Amino acid sequence: MADDKKPKHRPAASSMVFASTYPLLALILVLIACVDLCDAATVVDVYRLIQYDISGVPFGSRFSSLNHHAASLSFQRGADLSRSVLILPLRELDLGFLQDYVSQKQSLGGLLILLPETLRPGGSVISESQGFRKLLAQLENLLVHGNLPFPVYFAFENKETDAMLADVKKNDALGQQATATTGGYKLVISVSEPRKIASPTITNIQGWLPGSRAEGDSNQLPTIAIVASYDTFGAAPALSVGSDSNGSGVVALLEVARLFSTLYSNPKTRGRYNLLFALTSGGPYNYEGTQKWLKSLDQRMRESIDYAICLNSVGSWDNELLVHVSKPPDNAYIKQIFEGFSNVAEDLGFQVALKHKKINISNSRVAWEHEQFSRLRVTAATLSGLPTPPELLESAGSLSDTRQLVGEDAIIKGVKLVAESLARHIYGHQRKDIKIFADDSSLAVNPFNVRSWLDLLSQTPRVAPFLSKGEPLIMALKKELEDYTAEVSVQHESLDGIFTFYDSTKASLNIYQVASVTFDLLLLLVLGSYLIVLFSFLVITTRGVDDLISLFRRPPSRKVKMV
Amino acid sequence: MTLFHFFNCAILTFGPHAVYYSATPLSEYDTLGTSVKAAVVYLATALVKLVCLATFLQVSETEVFDPYQEALKAMIGFIDVAGLYFALAQLTHRNISQNHKFQAVGLGWAFADSVLHRLAPLWVGARGLEFTWDYVLQGLEANANLVFTISLAALGSLMWLRKNKPKTLIPIIYTCAVIIATMPSITSYLRRVMGWHFPKVVGFELMTSLVMAFISCQLFILCQRPSL
Repeated sequence: MADDKKPKHRPAASSMVFASTYPLLALILVLIACVDLCDAATVVDVYRLIQYDISGVPFGSRFSSLNHHAASLSFQRGADLSRSVLILPLRELDLGFLQDYVSQKQSLGGLLILLPETLRPGGSVISESQGFRKLLAQLENLLVHGNLPFPVYFAFENKETDAMLADVKKNDALGQQATATTGGYKLVISVSEPRKIASPTITNIQGWLPGSRAEGDSNQLPTIAIVASYDTFGAAPALSVGSDSNGSGVVALLEVARLFSTLYSNPKTRGRYNLLFALTSGGPYNYEGTQKWLKSLDQRMRESIDYAICLNSVGSWDNELLVHVSKPPDNAYIKQIFEGFSNVAEDLGFQVALKHKKINISNSRVAWEHEQFSRLRVTAATLSGLPTPPELLESAGSLSDTRQLVGEDAIIKGVKLVAESLARHIYGHQRKDIKIFADDSSLAVNPFNVRSWLDLLSQTPRVAPFLSKGEPLIMALKKELEDYTAEVSVQHESLDGIFTFYDSTKASLNIYQVASVTFDLLLLLVLGSYLIVLFSFLVITTRGVDDLISLFRRPPSRKVKMV
Repeated sequence: MTLFHFFNCAILTFGPHAVYYSATPLSEYDTLGTSVKAAVVYLATALVKLVCLATFLQVSETEVFDPYQEALKAMIGFIDVAGLYFALAQLTHRNISQNHKFQAVGLGWAFADSVLHRLAPLWVGARGLEFTWDYVLQGLEANANLVFTISLAALGSLMWLRKNKPKTLIPIIYTCAVIIATMPSITSYLRRVMGWHFPKVVGFELMTSLVMAFISCQLFILCQRPSL
């Protein structure tokens, strides 16, 4: 009876049990779907090489995601590196080898360049040998002007990367290059493919400090402009802080603005010149921002500009500051400006030299910022510590341009030079031995202000396409100028023209230590034999050896029995 | 190839249980029900232990060995022993000999323990790209735990189910049972105070498990002699 009932019960009961396991099954499926829960032993911040096009010609690193084994320079010659990431510490860089690789267009899975920790922006100011600055400059030159069809990343050395590199070198020296079958380290950067930045904006900030008109004088007051470009360009946009190019120029401009705002705040000491301070963007791209800003100025305002002083890299010079001009040196205005500078420089104890470079109108290359003014017939000069104009996209915030490269004293001397010569021109005290901005006076240059702005700029990468309109740095510069000047206006323009930029500048690198397939197979073999031994042991101890043997023999005795 | 590693560690962790079941006469006598019941009792015991731990224990931020906390943990560990007693003595099993009963209960208990404590970390961790020895060591620990549990079940059945025992052996039985029951406290003491690393601890566990198994086997045989 009981047996009859059982079969009927079972289907109903089993279907109910089945139905109740559906939520459990769903939960298990959800858990299985959570596959990507692996966390690597090491995660390192890495910064990508810049990727850009000039008139459609590609430059820089064209890929961003990475998933390959690590290899070092000790690999066997002729080995295939197309599925490996080459790890190059800067200290052991062989530039010739890399040049060969790039020019021969050999395929590489990826390139990871390890920089010394001292080059990290915002790090402590430690003085170390300048030996690899030149090497770094050459490396940047090679990478920025080359077309690299693999991801290139920069990272800073730390304990984990050192350990990993030592391990990889040891393995490579033994000839066991890391692949899927031999284990080693795997480097994974999982980011989406880089996209074009749709319309990058460049932001110009100008501050207007009006002078005082004399009684009964209805003419427009003349204006003097002080200009500096604040954006940078470098091999690694996320590391491009440009302390000297052009953080020093920005700091000098802000300090001059502060001094003159103090002077002009009192109506009795307000000069008969307006002062126009401009922080322009788009500097590395032939000073496109400066051109757009100038064109946006009211024509009368532009015509009232007596002359403009552009500041560029005034933080790393020792004894001689250079005044670059495009008008011939025997021009009366140029003579006047230069004499003013050299008189003040004599008093302050250093020298200034005049350098003339003609503008080639047919050439679109704008080497100095003052050339944009000259093209619109405004007298201008650039004050710089650089003797020769930098090439396109060079010396605009390279990796070696960190806080250590800049001396505050140089900037302070530059500020004094500009402020004193301006003041002597404005108040008509040329050739007089007067120190308006003397130390220990209320108009002294404030070294702490200089230092704090320099520190801030040395920690902020400022590549223009990656700065949004409301970027905190731009807001800070605007606020600073608002404190010093009467009217501040911000102009947003789009960086059109021949440059196109791609995003994805920063990523996280996961370093995994992986075991090879042979290891897994070996482990499987060992475990299989262990389980077999365990099985045999248990059968022998609990049932006897005969039972073990009988497991492998077919039972022939049954046939005999049946008969 | 990391699913491969997961598979390897899984067969190391759970394989011996299946092998034990199929190799010994347990499979012939169909003692699966006993093992399942023991697993359920383990689950209930684990829940009770969790509640007690949560109520009475303070979570310390550092890895400091606090004797008071460890003593409390050891006392709560005795709930394990109580659960094992319940599974051995109180549950009604089909007519299986005592010999097989303790083995089945121990097996079910150890399997539930392995699944609860080791399956989730294995699933989450062993499938990643990063290779560590941790999961292999965890599998070895699961093996040692199996031996410990079966020894404890054997001693437990001696203590509670067998009435006539030689008097001289009783203290030895009890000491061995206490040692096995406090194994977790001993390992945590080794790890924190003596600073042993995981491989060393697992090696120690394996060795002591074999020693304990041998001792409890001998005790079992000795106690079986006088029975008629």
